[in-house]
Amino acid sequence: MTALPQSVGAATTRSPRRRARRPAGLPWILPALVVSVGILYYCIGYTAYISTLDWDGASPLQEFVGGANYLKMVKDPIFWQSLQHTVIFFVVSFALRVVLGFVFASLLHSRLYLRTFYKVLIFIPVVLATATVAPVFRLIYAPTGTLNQLLEAVGLGSLTQLWLSNGAFALFAVITIQVWQSTGVSFVLYYAAMGQIEPDIVEAARLDGAGDFRVLRSIVWPGVRGTTIALAILTAIDSLKTFDVPFLVTSGGPSFATEFLGTQIYRVSIAYAQVGYGGSLSIVLLVLALAAAILINVTARRRERLDV
Amino acid sequence: MFETRRIRTRVGLQILLTVLVVPFVFPLVAMVQGSLAGAGWGNYATVLSLPLLPGFFLNSALVAAGVIVLVLVCTLMASFGFSKLHIPGKEVFFWLLLACLTMPGVVLLAPLFATVTQVGAYNTLWAVILPLAALQIPFTVLLTRNFVDGIPDQLIEAARVDGANMFQIFWSIMLPLMRPIIAAILVLVFINSWNEFLFPLLFLNTPEQQTITLVPQYFVGQYNNDQTKVLAAAVLTGLPVVIAYICLQRFFERGLAAGALK
Amino acid sequence: MRFSHLKRAAVAAVAGAVLVSLGLAGCSGGSTASAGSATKGTVNWWSWTPDNDLAGREIAEFNKQYPDIKVNYKKVPIDNYAALLRPALASNSGPDVFTVNASGSFSGQTFAAYAYDLTPDIKKLLGSDWKSKIAPTGVKAFTIKGRLVAAEWAKVGAGNMWINQELFTKYNVQVPKTYAEWKTACATFRANGLGCFAEGLSGTSGFIVDTMHSILDSVKPGLWSDLLAGKAKWTDPAVVQAYQLLANMQKDGILDEGGNGIMQYPDVNNSFLTGKVPMVQMGTWYQQYAATNSLEAAVKGAGVDPATTPKVTIIPIDFPDVAGKGNPPTLFTDPDAGQAVNAKSKNRAAAVTFALWLGNTKEGQQVVANNLDEFPTLNGVEVQFDKVTLVNPDAQSKPLAELTAKLKAATEVRSYGISAELSQALITAAQNVIGGKSASDQVAAIQTAATSGQ
Repeated sequence: MTALPQSVGAATTRSPRRRARRPAGLPWILPALVVSVGILYYCIGYTAYISTLDWDGASPLQEFVGGANYLKMVKDPIFWQSLQHTVIFFVVSFALRVVLGFVFASLLHSRLYLRTFYKVLIFIPVVLATATVAPVFRLIYAPTGTLNQLLEAVGLGSLTQLWLSNGAFALFAVITIQVWQSTGVSFVLYYAAMGQIEPDIVEAARLDGAGDFRVLRSIVWPGVRGTTIALAILTAIDSLKTFDVPFLVTSGGPSFATEFLGTQIYRVSIAYAQVGYGGSLSIVLLVLALAAAILINVTARRRERLDV
Repeated sequence: MFETRRIRTRVGLQILLTVLVVPFVFPLVAMVQGSLAGAGWGNYATVLSLPLLPGFFLNSALVAAGVIVLVLVCTLMASFGFSKLHIPGKEVFFWLLLACLTMPGVVLLAPLFATVTQVGAYNTLWAVILPLAALQIPFTVLLTRNFVDGIPDQLIEAARVDGANMFQIFWSIMLPLMRPIIAAILVLVFINSWNEFLFPLLFLNTPEQQTITLVPQYFVGQYNNDQTKVLAAAVLTGLPVVIAYICLQRFFERGLAAGALK
Repeated sequence: MRFSHLKRAAVAAVAGAVLVSLGLAGCSGGSTASAGSATKGTVNWWSWTPDNDLAGREIAEFNKQYPDIKVNYKKVPIDNYAALLRPALASNSGPDVFTVNASGSFSGQTFAAYAYDLTPDIKKLLGSDWKSKIAPTGVKAFTIKGRLVAAEWAKVGAGNMWINQELFTKYNVQVPKTYAEWKTACATFRANGLGCFAEGLSGTSGFIVDTMHSILDSVKPGLWSDLLAGKAKWTDPAVVQAYQLLANMQKDGILDEGGNGIMQYPDVNNSFLTGKVPMVQMGTWYQQYAATNSLEAAVKGAGVDPATTPKVTIIPIDFPDVAGKGNPPTLFTDPDAGQAVNAKSKNRAAAVTFALWLGNTKEGQQVVANNLDEFPTLNGVEVQFDKVTLVNPDAQSKPLAELTAKLKAATEVRSYGISAELSQALITAAQNVIGGKSASDQVAAIQTAATSGQ
């Protein structure tokens, strides 16, 4: 039986006739819906409700203010700064995650030595809780920390910076920490996806004289397309939600240079006790995340149809 | 995926791999160094001598097990349904599910606390297991659905022609083929449940119920932040997961699609 | 079959609505629980302070008087305290006793709605003139709308600084009292490869607010209290001058660079206690590190071997007169903590006993005082310095006694009345001027935060 020619790893196209003959799937997705939607939709509804209030989360006094919180948000310069940082974070961390994960997965699918050793090393950062690695990174990026010491040692002393003190570099630091922590995940996913690619196709291409890069570009990369799209959606949601790293390493500073929606929601809800405003920020986060996910998916499907 | 027949390419690739890995290892070395600073191995001794430590480990294990079982059952079924079966308004349900992923933890605290105490689950492990599972499922369904999309429909068609029902197809054909992604999901869900800090802090009141992530706070005072012991605790907490990952390594190997088709 | 999914969705929606109403019902109001016995029962105590071992000591002392009340202490990290306390108190399973601060995100004001009025019980304990027997700032801070929502048990002071005596002696540096002297002192330290005045502005702890307070007291005494009371505006030129002085301090080599990227705790704290930094601005709580055992524990926690590291002798000094106007240095004080009792507690009477014991009995306050990190608030309780082993008694005894006397006499408020928003605005303004922005551009934002925070 011949191997599938083109749609390896991608969603297969369906003809209308075939769709009608597929068995019903609703009972299969029900447990997931009951658990997730059942438990969390109350939370979403609750958040939407309190976003219309002027409330401090504790007192029995709740004042209904309708859309006032949303208006406040639009006029809040820190909100727009957070979004800006989110976009930068998304673009850079997505690119790095994908490239590093893909390269590592490709390398470790080849016959090199000590593969398990490398696989473990790449993955350990994922295992560690952010709360415990954050202080380590704060020391690394400190004015007399290991990074500056390293730069001096190799003669690049002119590149030393007060990393966390400077807004732009602080954002860079936050992004690198996040990438460090999550490349292991993209690696694992790409690794599993590459395992689905028929080795026969690769063999056939090599027999035809294709070099490494040709194989990677034309067979492997399209073959793991689904993973890339899933990673895009997950990175988009992560970028919007990101909280641990900026909170623990820079507290959203200096001067809000590393403020994200996640940290802003925490600050507003917990420190300022303006849970209504925090609620409206959360709802906007949800809407943006869904919009991003749908946009990514739609773009991907359209590209895929054009390829076919 | 790279061609490794020639020694020159093999050495070159090995060097590339090593160079790329160095930035990942560097902070880990700093961490271990930090955990040995001050009192050296004494830090580990202090952490290990916390009287309730075995109990914490057990609770973390129970939470992780509960979450993994719940998530795997729901995810594998749901990914099969989303990918291979007919559901009217399928994408709507999918986005409904995905929306659950977008709520930041701090926003969930108040409503979850109200729900958990209403159903009487406060200070039980279920208070942590259920919300964690609910939060993991959209993430795992997204990844698993994508993986299942890559399993050819022909396999299912062939089995249906042979008279198998959906459940038999799921059990005997789909599950074995899904081993790589099951392994990936298992490890990721294990990590997330094992490292969960906020929910155990909120819902588990007595040390008998608490998990291992609450250990570092024994060493974080208002003025004294005993970083060395926190790092030692972090290393000890991370060990079981690393071991699990190493053991599941072989399941990440290539799937059996090729063999099945033939 | 086609409509079964619609039916299921409807069921799910109804279930969701039921959950919502149940949840909201749980959020509203509280049952009036019976008080229980005042000398028997289990009391769950949540707080961010003290540390577990110190709490153990306090509880053990309490149990000597009340052996039948079991106190379970849950230490919640200060960063998560407000986030966790709110839902817990909203439910019916919250703690019986919870500690609150004078201001900030977990103040007595924030949680006043959940607290039981302690006035009748404190009158029973201390008599009807109870207000005169305890520190007045605490009474003011914890009385919300006529109800005593928390019983104070500790206070702290700030506005002073601490120096590393060894470094000052080694390089023959005099303790600075003016801006010029400070500049010279720091020049000497820097010439020898050290920093000088280290402060961390990153994080949410806001110790820079104390520094701004000290500077402002040097520029225009009394303005801070007016600002907090709303009688003056933050756009006052004195405030601009204060921020300008902060920027000058960095430019003239007094304040170490890179403050925006480091945190007071743990970075500056660890550096100072391991002998790397000549001076810091910390308050009276820092005196615990004059005691040998606390210093050793801190040094170990900083990742350094106490056996091979020389112990620093920390000495309190006044904040130098940076404005050059001859205004005296100040010490300002706040109640640091008060015990509140959950009105919904099922062991309310026992909870009240414990809450009042820590701050209003000689036994409770003595334990607090001897831990050295907090000052007692009950009149007549002193730190028993003879029970404490100091690192360098010859050098430290007298300055510590003087600091204690100054704190007893201090009346200026530290930060009671500063909302979280205002605090953040003050910190952001400081970060901005450290980062090179102009001081006059900052004050408008501070005033906005001050008015909206009300």
